Amino acid sequence: MADRVILTIGTKKGVFVADSAKPRRSFALRGPFGPGVPVYSTLIDTRGTPRLYASSCNPFFGMKVLRSTDLGKSFAETKAGPAFPKEDGRALANIWALEAGSGKKDLWCGVEPASLFMSHDAGDSWDLVPGISNHEHARKWQPGNGGLCMHTIIRDGNRVHLGISTGGHYLSEDGGETFRASNKGVGAGFAPDPYPEFGQCVHKIARHDDAPGRLYMQNHGGWADWTGPGGPRPDIGVLRSDDYGHSWRSIAKGLPSDFGFPIVVHPHDGDTIYVMPLEPATRSCPGGAPAVWRSENAGESWSRLARGLPKKQSYFTVLRDAMDIDRLKTPALYFGTTTGQLWIGREGGEQWDCLFDSLPPIHNVKVAVV
Amino acid sequence: MGPTPTITIHVPGPLRRYCAGAAQLSISAHTVRIVLEDLQRSQSVLYCNICDETGKVRPHLNVFVNSDNVRDLDGVDTTLKPGDVVTILPAVSGG
Repeated sequence: MADRVILTIGTKKGVFVADSAKPRRSFALRGPFGPGVPVYSTLIDTRGTPRLYASSCNPFFGMKVLRSTDLGKSFAETKAGPAFPKEDGRALANIWALEAGSGKKDLWCGVEPASLFMSHDAGDSWDLVPGISNHEHARKWQPGNGGLCMHTIIRDGNRVHLGISTGGHYLSEDGGETFRASNKGVGAGFAPDPYPEFGQCVHKIARHDDAPGRLYMQNHGGWADWTGPGGPRPDIGVLRSDDYGHSWRSIAKGLPSDFGFPIVVHPHDGDTIYVMPLEPATRSCPGGAPAVWRSENAGESWSRLARGLPKKQSYFTVLRDAMDIDRLKTPALYFGTTTGQLWIGREGGEQWDCLFDSLPPIHNVKVAVV
Repeated sequence: MGPTPTITIHVPGPLRRYCAGAAQLSISAHTVRIVLEDLQRSQSVLYCNICDETGKVRPHLNVFVNSDNVRDLDGVDTTLKPGDVVTILPAVSGG
């Protein structure tokens, strides 16, 4: 079969799958699967026979994981979703992250309340990862606006980076056995101490295989004008690490706002990154004019990409997992909005077109070439 | 305490696939709590849809004994008599 570009689109009313031939001129849409149930995380696992996964967070009947082995023509529930041991006292409220593990059927899952689970059988059974789920800080983390969620899981050899809102960035260097808060340089705007050990509202973290040690973070910015204890905290929203997440520094200069949710790295250039700056009060783009901003020098400077996007009167939000980029030679960006539009940014975001304009509110967009 | 009453559980449509399509289940139990404990043993997947990991009935579900919500009775300690019907229903939600 010729290569296909596959999109998974997690929405308030189920997961959709769109696919296209490589030129990406048009996409065919299927779904919703798990109809009527919110989907906050999806995964396109391209190892071996591709498997698609989606969380299905049913407010009535609890959390499920959906799996497709036919490229999203159908989905079925796995045998079990992650669940806390009864004696733990916590109950699963949402599933925020699904990532591939090292073994062929290994999966990692970040949940709300912030905890980590692992599966060795493609999602049919799950074990709590105690090193972070029972961390001494875990009962001190506080929920952000979206809940107390573990939304980012990044594996890099024996290192595991986790993003928790609001908990901050946690790093394991022993394959996930133990974790420690690693937030040097990561600011917080909602506490008197601008640089606490933990408790930051990290929104998303990204890395690139070809840039060892480099990580990018979209943190909860928007605190430049704070006048309370600890003083203003400008530019704490977009950050970079060059030492495997041990320390972080701002790269927000030049952006119209340091607040935002997603951060995405170009698949073939670890210095090229994309963010979508939002006004902190409305969670929409400044002036009602949506734009993705790109840096081609690891955050030293930024340029605005908006050709084809609305020029005014657009007040949608793009959530933390609702932007992705494919891995074709000239990659395309994709983002989904809380008003149900799915946009494609062709030529690395130079030209934007709306693929679908009336989907349910979009939480999550993932893309893969299979 | 007298003989254990046999009651009927009415299973809502979305949950029937977790109990082989059954619309009703018959269980002998003195209280709603024992009904749930029985389901945990005999219909574990169905049970996980009704109760969370802590054993509490999920917050957006209502359990009725005949026409009364157990929240207005004695909760899961509500006693049962022969022929009672226990109905599990999603709460009204909109938006």
